[in-house]
Amino acid sequence: MVSLLRRFFGVDKQSGQVARKRMQFVLMHDRIDITPDLLEAVRKDILEVLSKYMEIDGKSLKVDLEQGKDFMALISNVQVKRVYRHAS
Amino acid sequence: MAGKTIVVTSGKGGVGKTTTVANLGTTLAKKKYSVVMLDADIGLRNLDVVMGLENRIVYNLVDIIEGKCRKAQAMIRDRKLSNLFIIPAAQTREKNAVNPEQMRQLCAELAEEFDFVLIDCPAGIEQGFKNAVAGASTAVVVTTPEVSAIRDADRVIGLLEASELKNIYLVINRLNVKMVKKGDMMSTEDIISLLSVPLLGVVPESEEVVISTNRGIPLVHERGSKAGSAFRRIASRLNGESIPIDEDGADGFFGRMKRLIWN
Repeated sequence: MVSLLRRFFGVDKQSGQVARKRMQFVLMHDRIDITPDLLEAVRKDILEVLSKYMEIDGKSLKVDLEQGKDFMALISNVQVKRVYRHAS
Repeated sequence: MAGKTIVVTSGKGGVGKTTTVANLGTTLAKKKYSVVMLDADIGLRNLDVVMGLENRIVYNLVDIIEGKCRKAQAMIRDRKLSNLFIIPAAQTREKNAVNPEQMRQLCAELAEEFDFVLIDCPAGIEQGFKNAVAGASTAVVVTTPEVSAIRDADRVIGLLEASELKNIYLVINRLNVKMVKKGDMMSTEDIISLLSVPLLGVVPESEEVVISTNRGIPLVHERGSKAGSAFRRIASRLNGESIPIDEDGADGFFGRMKRLIWN
């Protein structure tokens, strides 16, 4: 009864739609199939490019894949120590 | 002209591969085509029991490949249809008793003799899958409207596309129309948009399937069975006949219109 009411007032989404949304993300993730090795290679390259312009803490550079609602994002965080003058 | 070689696969187990093979093979044989069904699930054979032919087995697939018997000796003729045969899997051997090259060879030879060679693929994506797929030119991927089955189907479709297999079709099995209407099951459209593979048909969930398997008589022999006629239409579409998908009573455009009018 409670669950019926919850559904009626739109608190619970219909589970079929929940499943569809979840599968959209899961399949996208499966298909992209980025291995940890590949992610590490990306990390190294980003470090190299950034180092041309600024002094950065290599150990702090993180590269992660994050799930948005209906997209996938590559998010990278890095601590900048100093920007070289010639870069500006 | 060589016949068609079709593998029925799914990734996940228990979604109805063997039932699909049995019903498609039987339907095509009823249409007067010569059909052989190959159980490629070595070590876990089941096509024989689903067809009700379990007590007639003498030789099996591995025996043919190892040259212990001729092909004709391992083929078991159906009880009702004289143009329908099965080649059972070996029960006490392992999947690596056979390799893809041998399967390719065997399927090519069978396609010379038969109009249709249907291959029942084991669950999983390892050696047994590779063997089953090797000799096929068409793949029928069976899924159910559940997240685990769909995910595995997607993986299998990816692997099939990576191989030379380009004709890939989808069968949605065990769709519960009531649950779809309530919004508690992914609809046919949902599944097609997720997997983006051409749909061959939708089989409604049905107790009749269990009963027919209990008896060892494929459902398509039964008249007036919804799931049975869904399998018959799938077989016809596989044979190139054009039958609108709407007739499957799935959540198609006409189904939605009907509901709009009736509700």
